[in-house]
Amino acid sequence: MIATAPSSIPASEPAVEAPLSLAPRSLATRVGTSVRLLFANPWTPIYTPLLILGIILLMNLAIWGIVRANIPAEGEMAEGVNGGAFFLFVYMLVVAVQSINQAFPLALGYGSTRRDFLLGFGVFALILSVGYAAILATAAWVEESAGGWGIGLQFFSADALWRSDWPQAFGFGVLLMMLFFGIGAATAAVYVRWRALGMYVFWAGLVFLLIGGAALVTLLDAWPQVGEFFVWAGVLGTAAWSLILTAFCALAAWLILRRATPSQG
Amino acid sequence: MTTIVEARGLTKRYRGITAVDGVDFQLARNTITGLLGRNGAGKTTLMHLLTGQEFATHGSITIAGESPVENPRVLQHTCFIKESQRYPDDFKPKHVFAAAPGFFPNWDADFARELAAELRLPVDRRIKKLSRGQLSSVGIIVGLASRAPITIFDEPYLGLDAIARQAFYDRLLADYAAHPRTIILSTHLIDEVADLLEHALVIDNGRILIDSPVDALRAHAATIAGPAAAVEQAVAGLDVIHRERLGGFVSATVAGITEQVTASARAAGLEVGPVSLQQLIIRQTGGSPTEHEEVTR
Repeated sequence: MIATAPSSIPASEPAVEAPLSLAPRSLATRVGTSVRLLFANPWTPIYTPLLILGIILLMNLAIWGIVRANIPAEGEMAEGVNGGAFFLFVYMLVVAVQSINQAFPLALGYGSTRRDFLLGFGVFALILSVGYAAILATAAWVEESAGGWGIGLQFFSADALWRSDWPQAFGFGVLLMMLFFGIGAATAAVYVRWRALGMYVFWAGLVFLLIGGAALVTLLDAWPQVGEFFVWAGVLGTAAWSLILTAFCALAAWLILRRATPSQG
Repeated sequence: MTTIVEARGLTKRYRGITAVDGVDFQLARNTITGLLGRNGAGKTTLMHLLTGQEFATHGSITIAGESPVENPRVLQHTCFIKESQRYPDDFKPKHVFAAAPGFFPNWDADFARELAAELRLPVDRRIKKLSRGQLSSVGIIVGLASRAPITIFDEPYLGLDAIARQAFYDRLLADYAAHPRTIILSTHLIDEVADLLEHALVIDNGRILIDSPVDALRAHAATIAGPAAAVEQAVAGLDVIHRERLGGFVSATVAGITEQVTASARAAGLEVGPVSLQQLIIRQTGGSPTEHEEVTR
């Protein structure tokens, strides 16, 4: 069975063709389009992680409640350190990898530039970072105020930092989340540009750098100084220093994707 | 005629393989062009170059006089639907259709819904779970409903049954008439789309073999069939691009046919018939296998 096309082309004589408009749409519109693409299925970046967060919180409450009920001596296990909310950061790293790997080629096919897509991804990452940091900081504050949901559970506030004041916890959350988005984006960019070969070289190089760096520090007997740096910077300070790494990742992702093509690899 | 796409000495090399080899051509605005050729001939690479996804090794390709590479001024007018298009794993067709209006200012959501119903596309099913044909439908719907001034279909119908393909051709033609735009249709189902095409660009081994209006191509060639001796007499001195023999009968495909030849052949009691575009292109591209099959995938 062979389909055939209709046998005539309708004679349509456009009177006077308006030339193709080369006025670009505004940067905000173009970037917004990429953001919309990345949020097109809100389940992946928003609903699913919140749902998981809610479920594991409830499970932790239940389990911790049972544990507490069965410990006769009050104060024996005064605090239930947990920190289960950390999965959100790893989850967002995966979201970043998927966004770059899968939405990028689609956006290009639909007439986006690489630049507009990446800027859109940056906005997407920032929106999610701010949103989740606000949720985590607020939840930690509530948890702290409510005495660990009344049973001493530290689900959101395992680290002292989250128990500090809200703005600090929020800032820390944004910085850390952006770092995870950055690492995910840069790694995925390597894959999009160089495929499996890029992954081998990237991971081998990373391991080499880490071991080499550790060896260098050992050789120079500089571990105390390294430790001192983190003490000196403090947790929030260290998080602020991570901005350099985040910026490096963002720059790397941009430089790598700038020349990425669909058939590379 | 306004030129919308122009390639000059366009070359793309991958590690020693020349996918597109010094190509020159122009496409007229608001026409339907068939980009025809075998697998690995360089069609997909050419379309990637046109949409700025690939970078030319030499030469240039322009849309409205501007390079498409990272150029939102011209890329905003393009929609490139390719057979191998990947979608985010978590997407359903409805998510694609929800994101599309941002990319395509002329997007017609009602038209997209209508097409989805006609092609029986389950818009609420994960794209990963769609059949090959349904996946193709997603592309076809976006390509048509985008109404992008430059719409490019690269083998858009993979896995579609004949009815769905017919629906695509009918819709394409009707919508093109109502909303003229520049359409580039890459395919190897040449005969199916032959009547849609106004212009044919045949590419083989990275080179343009034919760059001609389809009408002229057709008028240019004919088959002359009948008893061997009479046919040979009629085609003597003509450019016979193909000969088929069956017992004492011969069917000769002749290029460069004239009214005179046709008339005298008919007078001699021979049958003069049209050559299908597909036959013509197969004859002209010959049967030589291409060296770099699948390079562009």
